[in-house]
Amino acid sequence: MSNSPKPRPSSSAKVRNAQAAASGGSRIWWVAGAGALVIIALLVIAIVATRSSNDAATSTAGQLAFGTVTVTGENLPEQPADANGQPIGADPAIGKTAPTVTGQRFDGSAITIPSSGKPKVVMLVAHWCPHCQKEVPLIAAELNSKGLPTDVDLFTVATGTSDQRPNYPPAAWLASEKWPVQTLVDDQDSTAAQAYGLSGYPTFVVIDANGKVVDRQSGEKSIDQFNAMLQEARTGTKTAA
Amino acid sequence: MTTSTFSLFFALLSLAAVAGTVGAVVVLAAARRRGSWMPMREDLRRVALPVAWVVAVVTTLGSLYMSEIAHFVPCALCWYQRIAMYPLALLLGIATFRRDTAIRVYVIAQCAVGGAIALYHASIQAFPPESGTAFCTTEAPCTTRYVWELGFISLPFMALSAFVFIATLMVAVGPSRAVALEPTSAPRTTGARA
Repeated sequence: MSNSPKPRPSSSAKVRNAQAAASGGSRIWWVAGAGALVIIALLVIAIVATRSSNDAATSTAGQLAFGTVTVTGENLPEQPADANGQPIGADPAIGKTAPTVTGQRFDGSAITIPSSGKPKVVMLVAHWCPHCQKEVPLIAAELNSKGLPTDVDLFTVATGTSDQRPNYPPAAWLASEKWPVQTLVDDQDSTAAQAYGLSGYPTFVVIDANGKVVDRQSGEKSIDQFNAMLQEARTGTKTAA
Repeated sequence: MTTSTFSLFFALLSLAAVAGTVGAVVVLAAARRRGSWMPMREDLRRVALPVAWVVAVVTTLGSLYMSEIAHFVPCALCWYQRIAMYPLALLLGIATFRRDTAIRVYVIAQCAVGGAIALYHASIQAFPPESGTAFCTTEAPCTTRYVWELGFISLPFMALSAFVFIATLMVAVGPSRAVALEPTSAPRTTGARA
């Protein structure tokens, strides 16, 4: 406690303090109102700025999230992997005959991924998978600039679909990425994914003209690695690591 | 409204938080040099606690929206930032109603921890390391940009802007070091005590 007595503010000082408090109080309400207006303005900007992309998303409404899938032939075995998803040992699917998978495109039309015929690469992707989200635009840019290969058929299987996970639905995602590859929509049991022995996203299955599996790889791939897989399909010989 | 709309909205709010931080620092610095800035400094002191509470609540709700509605899977680093942010939504609310400015010390410490993690997380999302990080898993990758607005705003960037803004407001909550315009209490004495 101080021994000094508290000086009593003069009446004029009291008035000035009261006026300052009153003007400060009104200023704070102005600040609060301005803050609320700024937040509303930011919300309006966000709505207007994303309207076109939302329109694009709704334009894919009505497209399939799941299709009906029929598999002819034996499912490929899964690639054994360690806890980190790294493959262990040789891929047991190499040299086996790939099954024929029949199903639907996003628009409901029929599509078949035949076992034999042209060499082919089948890419299995999930809309929520971050690695797929990186891989798809990479390959899309390559294929959209150079065109689809004429001697190798490319197929996509949209699988692992869930409306409880990000980036749903897959049709909107692939459309937004200008994905040029024909896509088969997997069913809710991931029948098509099981047919190719999916063990991770994305998975590439390289199949030669005789329907034999040449190579199978999972994870993000560079364009060079992707082109190497196309070459594997053409030659029927595994070259990529 | 869709996830993309909310993502942009939260990104713009984070820019507003950055602008608010800059503005608060300017007011705090100017008020220490010029008495004419003192009324604004006082206004800032009075609104700092409720504004910090609002920022913490909006950040918490935004974080919950991203995981529970947009279904973006939070990684380990996201969870550490959540641990630092979520309690602030409650504690700053209590402090606001009790006008308890002593909370600022604890809040600044918590923001320092959360902000440091957010800074690291934002940096590896902006410049993903080739070799990955110890926090990344396939199911919840920490370098994947679930949100990437305006070419640089990611989810950890938003968290970082919130932590820094709240910490700055907590500095503003403290007593002014400048001389008050109008004395309302006795000057402190160092003399004999009763």
